[in-house]
Amino acid sequence: MNVARTAGGTEGGAPGFAPGEHLLAAESLTKTFGGLAAVKNVSFMVRKEAIKAIIGPNGAGKTTLYDLLTGIYEPDEGSVIFEEKSLLGLPPHRICAMGVARTFQTVRIFSQMTVQENVMVGLHKSTSSGMVGCSLRLPRARREEAWIAEEATRYLDLVGLEMQADSPAGSLPYGQQRLLEMARALATRPKLLLLDEPASGLNAYETRELGELIYRIRDMGITVLLVEHDMGLVMRISEEVLVLDYGEVIAEGTPEEVRNDPRVIEAYLGSELE
Amino acid sequence: MEEKREDSLQEVAAAGKGERRGGFLGEALFLARRHVVFLSLVAFIAVMPFWAKPLSKPLGIPLVMVMRLVGIYTIVAVGLNILMGYAGQISLGHGAFFGIGAYTSAILTVKAHFPPWLGIIMAVLVAIAFGFLVAPVLRLKGHYLAMATLGVGIVLFVFLREMTWLTGGNDGIRNIPPLSLPGMRIGEARDYLRAEYYFIWVIALIVLLLCSNLVRSRLGRAMRALHQSEVAAEVMGVNVSWEKIKVFVLSTALAGLAGGIFAHVQGYIDPNLFTIVLSIQLVTMVVVGGMESIWGAVAGAGLITFIPKIVEALPKWLGEVPRWVEKYSNYEGMVFGLILVLTMIFMPAGITRGLSDMVRYRRSPFVNPFRKKAME
Ligand SMILES: Nc1ncnc2c1ncn2[C@@H]1O[C@H](COP(=O)(O)OP(=O)(O)OP(=O)(O)O)[C@@H](O)[C@H]1O
Ligand SMILES: [Mg+2]
Repeated sequence: MNVARTAGGTEGGAPGFAPGEHLLAAESLTKTFGGLAAVKNVSFMVRKEAIKAIIGPNGAGKTTLYDLLTGIYEPDEGSVIFEEKSLLGLPPHRICAMGVARTFQTVRIFSQMTVQENVMVGLHKSTSSGMVGCSLRLPRARREEAWIAEEATRYLDLVGLEMQADSPAGSLPYGQQRLLEMARALATRPKLLLLDEPASGLNAYETRELGELIYRIRDMGITVLLVEHDMGLVMRISEEVLVLDYGEVIAEGTPEEVRNDPRVIEAYLGSELE
Repeated sequence: MEEKREDSLQEVAAAGKGERRGGFLGEALFLARRHVVFLSLVAFIAVMPFWAKPLSKPLGIPLVMVMRLVGIYTIVAVGLNILMGYAGQISLGHGAFFGIGAYTSAILTVKAHFPPWLGIIMAVLVAIAFGFLVAPVLRLKGHYLAMATLGVGIVLFVFLREMTWLTGGNDGIRNIPPLSLPGMRIGEARDYLRAEYYFIWVIALIVLLLCSNLVRSRLGRAMRALHQSEVAAEVMGVNVSWEKIKVFVLSTALAGLAGGIFAHVQGYIDPNLFTIVLSIQLVTMVVVGGMESIWGAVAGAGLITFIPKIVEALPKWLGEVPRWVEKYSNYEGMVFGLILVLTMIFMPAGITRGLSDMVRYRRSPFVNPFRKKAME
C-alpha cells in the first residue's frame, strides 16, 4: 500500500496533524451507560500505517471506545471519520466492509467450528455466491470456496496456527484463541486492525512473538490500534500512545512523552510504567 | 449459547476435513465420498416399495403410504433444521407455513382450477411472501422468538378458521385434485400411491442434497457463526439480520412446498391439521433427529411419523391392548412433548449424531443429566 503523504489540509484536525495522512479521526466521542460516562469527549487521530496504543487503568473505557469505532454501540455524541467517510450510524458489518476489523478482549471465536472455518468466516464478505450458487455448487461458488480455503490457510500460516487448521476452535489454548481471532480479523482484509489486549494470557516469549507479528501486520500496510496492559509491549512497539482514564483522554504522545507525563503517572500510581 | 458441550468438539474436527479440490475427477470423488449417506438413502428409497408390499400386510402398517408422509415431513424438517440447528433461530410456527402452502395450492386448484403443479409452485411463492412478512420477529432472541413464532402460528390458525369465504372455515376444503403423475392409472390405488411416493421422495432427496451443499458453503458457515456469536459474526462482516432473514425464508419456502404437496396427497384439509401440535411435531423431528444435521431431519421425520402408525398397529400385533393405547390419538400431543423433553435431556445431540458417535467414538449416545459439569 503506497500512501501519498499530502501536507496541508486544515479542517477539524488537531494541530500538527494533516487529514490526508490520517486513516481515522475520532472527534469528541461520548458514550454514557445509565449516567456513567464510559467514554467522555474523546478525540484522537490515527496515522496511516502506524501502530498506536491505547492504554489506561481498568474501566477507563478502552473497550467501549472500540465498540464505538466498530459500530457495536452508537456514540451519544461525536463523530468517527475513516478514510474521509463517516462511520456514524453504520452497522458493524458495513464498517467491517469499509476496512475496520477487531479482536475481542473476551475471546469470541466460533468454538464449535474448526480453526480454519473461523478464518473462513472472515472471508465471507469478500465473496458473494448466493443461495442458488451455493446449493447447486455452481462453478463460481466452487471456485470461491476453494479460494476461501486457500486464503484462510494463508492467514493461519501468518499467525502460526496452520497445524491446528482442522481442530475445533474451542479446543485451542487461550493464547492461541487470541491468535485465531487475529487471523480471522485479518481475513476481512482490513485497513485498520483494533486489537483488544492481545497479550493477555501469553507468556513473555509469546508476547515477544506477538510483537513481531504486529510488526509484520503493519508491514502489510495495515494500521494497528493496540489496547494493552503489558507496558513492555506497548512501549516497545507503538509509535504513539493515547492514555484514557475514567473515559477521558489524559495524555497523548510518543511512548517517551507519555511515560513521563505526571497525569499518567498519577493515574497508574506510578508503579506499572516502570 | 457461546459455550456448548465439550464432547461434541470431536465431530467439529471430523466435519472440518471439508473442501478439497482438483478437477472434474476430484469433484466427482469428493461428491461420492461426501454423499455416501445420500447414495445409500437413494438406494433405500428406490427399492423400498418392492419389499414393502409383502411386509405391509403382516405389519399392519401401509409402508408406502406412511413413507410418503415421511418424505413430506422431511422437506419441512430439513428447512427447520437449517433454521434451528445451524442458524440457531427457533420457530414454533412452522406448522403455519406448512398450512399456508397446503391452503394456497388447495384454494388455487379447487376454486381457480390451477393444475396441481402450478398450485404447488404458488404455494412456495406465497410461503416465501409470508416468510418475509413474518421475518421481523427474527429481531427477537431465544424465548421471545419462540413466543413470537408461536403467536404467528395461532394467528394463522384463527385466520384459516374464520375466513370462511376463502378457506371454508372449520369444514376445510374437500376434493382437492390429486397429483397427475406418470405411471398412474385410474382406479389403481396402489399405482397412485407408488407414483406419489416416488414423486415426493425425488423432491425430498433433491432438497436434501441442495441443503447439504448449502450448509457446507459460505452461507452455512455464516449461519453457524451467527448462531455462536452474533456480535463476532457481524463484526467479521456477516450481515447478521439479512442472513437470518434468508435462512428463515428458505425454511418457510420448504414448509410451503411440503404443505402444497401434502394438500394433493391428502385430498382434503381443514384448519385443525395445522395447529400448534403440528409445529411441535416438526420441532420434535428436528430435535430427535439431531440439530445441525441434514440427515437427522430424515431420521427425525421417519421416527416421529412412524410412532403413531406403530401404536395404531399394536392391536393387530398383540391382539388385546389396554384402552388407553386404543385411544392413543388423544394423547398424541403429550407423547410428542414427552419425546421432545426426554431427548433434550438424555440425548441432546439427537439420534443420528448420538448413534454415529457411539459407533465412531465408542461413546454412549446418552448423557447423564445428573452428572456435574466440570468446573470452569
Ligand atoms: N454494556 C455496558 N453497560 C454498562 N456499563 C458498561 C457497559 N460496558 C462497559 N461499561 C462500563 O464502562 C466503563 C468502561 O468499560 P470498558 O470495558 O470500556 O473499560 P476498559 O478500559 O476496556 O477496561 P479493562 O481494561 O478492564 O478492559 C466501565 O466502568 C464499565 O463498567
Ligand atoms: Mg477492556
